[in-house]
Amino acid sequence: MSHCHTQVEQPGAAEILPKLEVPSVLTRVDELIRRYPVPRSALLEVLWVAQEILGWLPQEAIKWSASKCKVSPVHAYGVSMFYTMYKKEPTGRFFVQICQNVACHILGSEDIIAHAEKSLGISAHGGTTSDNLFTLLRVECLGACGNGPVMQINDDFVTDIVDGKLAMPVGVGLTPERFDRIVAWCRERAKSVAKEPSRDALGGLFDTMGHPGALLSSSQPQKAYSPVPPALGVAASRTDEGKVKLTWRTAPEVTTLHIEKKSGSDFAEAAAISGKEKEWLDEAPEGTEYRIVTETAQGRGKSSNVAKAPAAKGA
Amino acid sequence: MTTLTVTQNFGKGAKDIGVYKSLGGYSTIGQKLFDLSQFELIDLVTRSGLRGRGGAGFPTGMKWSFVPRNSAKPVYLVVNADEGEPGTFKDHVLMLEDPHRLIEGMILCGWALGVRTAYIYVRGEFLAAIDTLNAALKQAYEAGFLGENIKGSGYSLDIYVHRGAGAYICGEETALINSLEGFKGQPRLKPPFPAVSGAWASPTCVNNVETLMALPWILENGVEAYAAMGTPKSTGTKVFSVSGDVKRPGVYEVPLGTPLMELLESDKYCQGVVGTLKGVIPGGSSSPVLTAEEAAKANMDYESLASLKTMLGSGAVVAFNTTRSAVGMLASLTRFYAHESCGQCTPCREGTGYADRILKTVVAGKGRDGDLDHMLSLAANFSYTTICPLAIADAWPIENFIGKFRGEFDAAVSRNPEHAADRVDPAFRPGAFW
Repeated sequence: MSHCHTQVEQPGAAEILPKLEVPSVLTRVDELIRRYPVPRSALLEVLWVAQEILGWLPQEAIKWSASKCKVSPVHAYGVSMFYTMYKKEPTGRFFVQICQNVACHILGSEDIIAHAEKSLGISAHGGTTSDNLFTLLRVECLGACGNGPVMQINDDFVTDIVDGKLAMPVGVGLTPERFDRIVAWCRERAKSVAKEPSRDALGGLFDTMGHPGALLSSSQPQKAYSPVPPALGVAASRTDEGKVKLTWRTAPEVTTLHIEKKSGSDFAEAAAISGKEKEWLDEAPEGTEYRIVTETAQGRGKSSNVAKAPAAKGA
Repeated sequence: MTTLTVTQNFGKGAKDIGVYKSLGGYSTIGQKLFDLSQFELIDLVTRSGLRGRGGAGFPTGMKWSFVPRNSAKPVYLVVNADEGEPGTFKDHVLMLEDPHRLIEGMILCGWALGVRTAYIYVRGEFLAAIDTLNAALKQAYEAGFLGENIKGSGYSLDIYVHRGAGAYICGEETALINSLEGFKGQPRLKPPFPAVSGAWASPTCVNNVETLMALPWILENGVEAYAAMGTPKSTGTKVFSVSGDVKRPGVYEVPLGTPLMELLESDKYCQGVVGTLKGVIPGGSSSPVLTAEEAAKANMDYESLASLKTMLGSGAVVAFNTTRSAVGMLASLTRFYAHESCGQCTPCREGTGYADRILKTVVAGKGRDGDLDHMLSLAANFSYTTICPLAIADAWPIENFIGKFRGEFDAAVSRNPEHAADRVDPAFRPGAFW
């Protein structure tokens, strides 16, 4: 299926473009493009929109996506071939993907796949039933291993039918019986409902102002907002020479460190040193209290914790 | 009673912002955050000992400290929700149950790094999670937690969901950045590391969903309370996704350092193994497998598993019993890595497919003597020769499955009546694994 480069009859631009060049789609594409600094980055999402509308990705739709994202058609084609979820050919109404990876494998996904191939009469490498109802594909890990063996029908995880609806109850994995029940449910639904409702491939976009400076965006870049960083972990120790050594951690944007010493009941500035310094030495008796106030281009920050000078060594 | 730091809102309807706030959500987005400078917040996360929950277990505070500050370029935060490692499904459940906690964590991280625009890269299969996230983001914008000048702080943050389109390799951070930029998801050479030059050649921080979701609890309850949980080097709690032969598979949050067997057998968690335990994959498909004896000794933290020569990875525990064939499991894994190799580096592109084709012949009963040694030699040669660790992630299971269950593999080879005949290298191209 998605991985096989089979020849598919491609619809022409005249058939595709009227479906894509409609106001509702173009608004969504504009919304996507303004979310990224360059239009190119919206490519994956625009391809999703095209696939949602057409059901698969004909080459003309890839070209259209490329023109919207201002990339070359071959770039868009390469990207669409790289990712397995872009469908390069139409699928049946119920696109059944069964996980074959290790967690599902040990719980019997091979049996389920064999059963599915037999009961639907198609290959699990992307076969489609003649009534165009089911396409079956074996895929790698779907990311719901707690429900192994697990499968997806279109965009929903399904392991059982609950209250007449497709569901994945907690801890319930597929069995051949459950698979048959799900297939019967799908066939029943095909009789009563004309077509599957279209589902928003991007989970319901909403209006945003976009990335600052991007095409069509109206948002402003970040302004300086953060408080001035204080000095952290201020500690006082004694060197071998009997001096008091202050150490601390601080941010690179700090330009000046004001070292304050307690005299009487108030702290008074003892020194102002460069923010690059890592330590500071002083001669002082035991119990002298120090704290540090940082300064950046923005101004002064909060004062740090108070560190007390310890007793001199051997004293 | 285990303290829950990430999954405490499960089953309470916290998808809705009203419910989430009534459970104490968004309480950090106020003076608690706005009084902190960036430097203090990064220091706080460093002291909490929080390590990246996506697989590598890199200390989060250190990762943040690598992001240059006051850079002329914008700083991006990209949330890695491209959960593709076989066995892992925790982020899927986390996003479905508690999307606002992720948004709150992103605001905290954004504040610490000065992020203006953040993206959540969700794998394409999780459309329901994308729906949930978009609905939650819309509510958060309406409540003033996102957008320009959040709650009058002068800080602005926008969050967008980016839907991936099915590529396991996009879980690797530089591949994820390439995919976000609109390229094929092929990893980039490091250095430069994303923290210096990532998305759009700007400083970029890539964090896992669970890592960011742990932040609100840390800020609210304090660093000491978080660091007190778990082990000294692996602090806090971790969400494990347990699957395979257990009675109650699912997503469980336990303190790091919890014995593996407690996770599998406790009534609170998986309620026991179905059948007799044969082995456990402890950290997602790429982590080396543990035999039942090793599993009995293992504690679920980074150091204990490293001492058993495996890894905690993304916390995906796959238990299997004695009825399961190790050959079949390895065949399923090699097929996966051959399929998901991005095709950029020759050793990986050719080697993973080659190893897969050899094992396929063995599984089909056409194995020859020497096939297994050839696979081991391939694995040794294609690991550590590529840009990203995908080749290593294939080599480890090959080396460990064959090494630890050699008898089964030999038996599979000797099913071929002509197994002693000369080998024919199935080295043909193009990839026969489709």
